[in-house]
Amino acid sequence: MPLDNEILVRARDLRKRYGNHEAVRGVDFEIRRGEAFGFLGANGAGKSTTMRMIGCVSEPSGGHLEVFDLDPHTDGPAIRARLGVVPQDNTLDTMLTVFENLTVYAGYFGIKRREAKAKAAELLEFVQLSARANDQVNDLSGGMQRRLAIARSLINAPDLVLLDEPTTGLDPQARHLVWERLFQLKQQGVSILLTTHYMDEAEQLCDRLVVMDEGRIIAAGSPRELIDTYVTKEVVELRFAGRHTTALAELALELDGIGGQIEPLPDRILVYTDDAEDTAAALEARDIRPTSVLDRRATLEDVFLRLTGRALVEDEA
Amino acid sequence: MTAVAAPAPARLGHAAGAWRAFLLQLALYRHIWHGTAFSSVILPILYMVSIGIGVGSYIDDASTGGITYAEFIAPGLIASVAVMMLGNDMVYPVFGGYREWGGSYLAQRATPLRPVDILNGHLLYAVVFRPLTACTVVAVVLAFFGVYTSAWAALAVVAAVFVSASIAPWLFAWCSSLKSESMLNAVFRFAIMPITLFSGVFFPAEQMPGFLQPLVWLSPLWHGTELARAATADVAPALPPIAHLAYLVALGAGGWLAARRVVVRRLSF
Repeated sequence: MPLDNEILVRARDLRKRYGNHEAVRGVDFEIRRGEAFGFLGANGAGKSTTMRMIGCVSEPSGGHLEVFDLDPHTDGPAIRARLGVVPQDNTLDTMLTVFENLTVYAGYFGIKRREAKAKAAELLEFVQLSARANDQVNDLSGGMQRRLAIARSLINAPDLVLLDEPTTGLDPQARHLVWERLFQLKQQGVSILLTTHYMDEAEQLCDRLVVMDEGRIIAAGSPRELIDTYVTKEVVELRFAGRHTTALAELALELDGIGGQIEPLPDRILVYTDDAEDTAAALEARDIRPTSVLDRRATLEDVFLRLTGRALVEDEA
Repeated sequence: MTAVAAPAPARLGHAAGAWRAFLLQLALYRHIWHGTAFSSVILPILYMVSIGIGVGSYIDDASTGGITYAEFIAPGLIASVAVMMLGNDMVYPVFGGYREWGGSYLAQRATPLRPVDILNGHLLYAVVFRPLTACTVVAVVLAFFGVYTSAWAALAVVAAVFVSASIAPWLFAWCSSLKSESMLNAVFRFAIMPITLFSGVFFPAEQMPGFLQPLVWLSPLWHGTELARAATADVAPALPPIAHLAYLVALGAGGWLAARRVVVRRLSF
């Protein structure tokens, strides 16, 4: 999709401090109209805090932030009028019906009742919830509630939709349904900003992303660019039955020179390589015999691991 | 998908902001109005029959300033309904507004509404809409008991609105700042219940022991009841009406400033 050059969000040295803790430590980025932009990072990396500053519900402690060329400090309501927000907790009103959740929310934007009803019906169709319009929100599954929250975020035809961990806590089928809707939004040219700690989500949905760690941006680019820049084309995963953590770290030393970087994890060793067959032959030559060898394409997970030395999902409970 | 041009004024006026936030409360009310309408009709009948007429038959008119006991308690009942309604409208809904299970304030915060609009919208509902509707119903039901001796009786509802306005912002501030749900009951035990019992609704406040008198004067319901009784029974209030009103307005204004401070803090992340 050709990207318009209009910049929707511009951040320079953006910071947020809570007491002695600096959650965001000087980040720079720009988000352009029509693109799907992602903040990727483990829990506590500063993604949601950055998102809240863009959403004008959190005042930056330092640096510069512009949203739609406006200053969040003075123009919060005007900026929020043009944003769609899908919070992690949905914040749907459980006392209201599915349909009312949309029409009441439309009222917050000053959308007239008749127009709100028409738009609500259209959005329920879009997220495949028309049949549940008169149900109570509590009767919906987690995936349906998330889809309703997405529909709600579109009620004001926003210039930019902010999604905070859009598929966290959903089962695989529900995740795919959400992804499908978000992908469709992307196709329609809606600008999307999402935070995630799922690599596949970032790879599928984001045109461009930044990787955050401990409040800083440690890498930026398209998923492909990041993979090309930070890791090799392929990754060979080696498992050795009965060997874990320290044993694998020691074994990793024996693999030196076999491919690119060697990354021992608690349960496996990753060998970054541009040619998996060569790597297999080199293992054979050194008489190293793993119990399983998995050859796969490098992903953003590998980028994150390479950059931080930690797996992205390890913070997940 | 058709584009809806969301009106995005550079500045959202405070009246418009409050109105938009109020729409949520109105939508919620549509789900519960049957229950509240029922209690607005039944509650005053029960009070009037059991206390107004039952207890009243033992009470000499002289002890209630020359009016019947039913006439004496009617205005206080109208005003105390406003206080009791706050227990429903301003306790759990406010506390839950910031939480995952309620979350309505969090949802509103992501829209053009400011924290102060969210506060004002809830107050518009609890201070204006609810007393005006429910207390009017109560006042009409009580009229069937023939307890009004003044043509200005309808003003008792206005007095109830002022009572509500003086208490609601404080409840909002308190319930907004609580961390734990267990403290919510304190509102009923230490605020709503004593205010309802010791504000000269069911007996003249002068009957209270002298050392408790200052507490009576502090009670917004006492000031409201004095005003309401002046309206329904043409009884001279303890203070000039303007003084009672000034107290209620000042209390409400102080509460609003406190509530605004808390809501801004709670909804800034």
